[in-house]
Amino acid sequence: MNEKQGFKFIAVFLNMTWFALFVLAPGLMVVGISFLTRDISTFFTWPLTLDHYRELVDPVYAKVLKNSLVYSFNTTLLCLGIGYPFAWFLSRAPGHRRPLLLMMVIIPFWTSSLIRTYALVILMKANGLINTVLLAAGIVSEPVSMLYTDFAVYVGLVYSLLPFMILPLYAVLEKLDIRLMEAARDLGANSLQVFVHVVLPLSLPGVMAGCIMVFLPAMGLFYIPDLLGGAKTMLVGNFIKNQFLTTGNWPFGSAASVFLLLLMVLMLAIYFFISSRFNRSQLS
Amino acid sequence: MKKWTVILCLLLVPALVSAGDRTLYVYNWTEYMPDEVLTAFEKKTGIKVVYSTYDSNESMYAKVKLTRGKGYDVVFPSTYFVHKMRKEGLLSPIDHARLANFKHLDPVLLDKPYDPGNTYSIPYAWGSTALAYNKDQVDPEKMTSWKDLWRPEFKNRLVMNDDVREVLGVGLIINGFSVNDTDPDHIRMAYESIRALMPNIRVFSGDSPKQPLLNLEAWAGMVWNGEAYMAAQDFPAIQYAYPEEGAIFWVDSMVIPKEARNKKEALAFIDFILEPENALLVCEYIGYAPANRTAVSMMPEELKNNPTIFPDPEDVKKGEFQTDVGDAILVYERYWERLKTGL
Repeated sequence: MNEKQGFKFIAVFLNMTWFALFVLAPGLMVVGISFLTRDISTFFTWPLTLDHYRELVDPVYAKVLKNSLVYSFNTTLLCLGIGYPFAWFLSRAPGHRRPLLLMMVIIPFWTSSLIRTYALVILMKANGLINTVLLAAGIVSEPVSMLYTDFAVYVGLVYSLLPFMILPLYAVLEKLDIRLMEAARDLGANSLQVFVHVVLPLSLPGVMAGCIMVFLPAMGLFYIPDLLGGAKTMLVGNFIKNQFLTTGNWPFGSAASVFLLLLMVLMLAIYFFISSRFNRSQLS
Repeated sequence: MKKWTVILCLLLVPALVSAGDRTLYVYNWTEYMPDEVLTAFEKKTGIKVVYSTYDSNESMYAKVKLTRGKGYDVVFPSTYFVHKMRKEGLLSPIDHARLANFKHLDPVLLDKPYDPGNTYSIPYAWGSTALAYNKDQVDPEKMTSWKDLWRPEFKNRLVMNDDVREVLGVGLIINGFSVNDTDPDHIRMAYESIRALMPNIRVFSGDSPKQPLLNLEAWAGMVWNGEAYMAAQDFPAIQYAYPEEGAIFWVDSMVIPKEARNKKEALAFIDFILEPENALLVCEYIGYAPANRTAVSMMPEELKNNPTIFPDPEDVKKGEFQTDVGDAILVYERYWERLKTGL
């Protein structure tokens, strides 16, 4: 075994072991526990049962799932609406300025997102920065209610997840061949037509990747709706946490996790299916 | 390959060196004990303290339960978790005769239903959950009952703890039941009362219920007394009131897990914390009342007479301590889910 192969072997082996130990094994345990029975003294016990999956068919849990999906869906749309023009201008900016602009997108990641969420509380509270300025300027006579509303939740979610939309979009838009747009223009297309028929289809892989990268984490970020929205709606994340910690119903919490996992796998499968078809149609 | 072996050996050395000493593993709430008390204990006894923290009873319980308490020597569960852990045989009995400082404890806080005779738990600090309000917006004369929270003027103006037992507990209290009720019909009635309160609730706070009051987002609500005390330090308009139906009280206690390896050291530690000087240091740091009568008598008058921290004995008598509700927690949680999904 020469030096290089040895390094490759160690790198791959370490990674695989890491994933097997800390991702695959706990995941399989969750799947296993979801088929067992709740027990107050050992958390779970025999016999095997499908009851927990049957219990999931319930209007309350449908509502919990719907709440989470609505937040995630709207956040994805908002991120796309804000991120697309941003990524476009970023990709058209002069080459020497782009690294700096990209850095500014990434720098907020250096701070914990929990701390950034608390910072938003300080901005939006009734006696916070925004309201103080608005009151002092005489624009409003009473503090505007921002914190603990859906508005605050979306500000928090979009703020945290926007870079995940911008970066994949930037990656495809940057590689976009400018000559294709020039050709469309020469053939008489106006700006809107160039965008709809040339730019948008070519950037579709980036749009898909960005949407997946925003939608899936948005499903799990329950602390943002808790801190900024006042925890008045229950989301899948809260729901699963409560099953494990408050009621000690590990099998039911596991069943809910497995269901959520399957939902996400389904979305990823759709994404890969569409993007592979897209790539094939590009080649042909 | 040789290099790796050397590195591995280096990593193992510290583990071997410390194995011979006497060590104590303490598992406590975050920001619930000043470092100087731990250092003083180490200096006095020569026992090395390994200190780790948790932020909820639930996560502490899951860990202690999974390890059967092996690896922790002193833990600080709250009222009904003492009850739960005791019932499940996770705790080891504590011999009061071996605690020279047991006599300093306040008898008012001993022998409660969650641990009769304090066989398994030694009180550490205690407090209450009751009404808090901003007197710039709310008339103090009109904040005397839990029922006041239902007044229409509080529309979208209340802060509540994000805790299923406490919120439904208020619903149980105003219907005339115990906060520890396990009857599904009574819990349903509590749920219906709280559902009627939902339009008034602006925020369920899981981390710091004083914040919405300080932010002027909420005008009143249910708050822990320590939080209300700290809020009043910054903003004196915030007041704390014990409702006439009685507040919800809790005690955080020191316990020794059944499988703890260093029980002798754990007893020495508990006795050390019971020394009035140390209890006083703890109180100054955490802002909650110590369960230690002698330490309280050593406090400055104004602190001793602060009704937020030290309620009237009458108010304590009217109030209730939470106990474990067993499987009825599943009923509580079902109604909690319905409250939060609006069904």
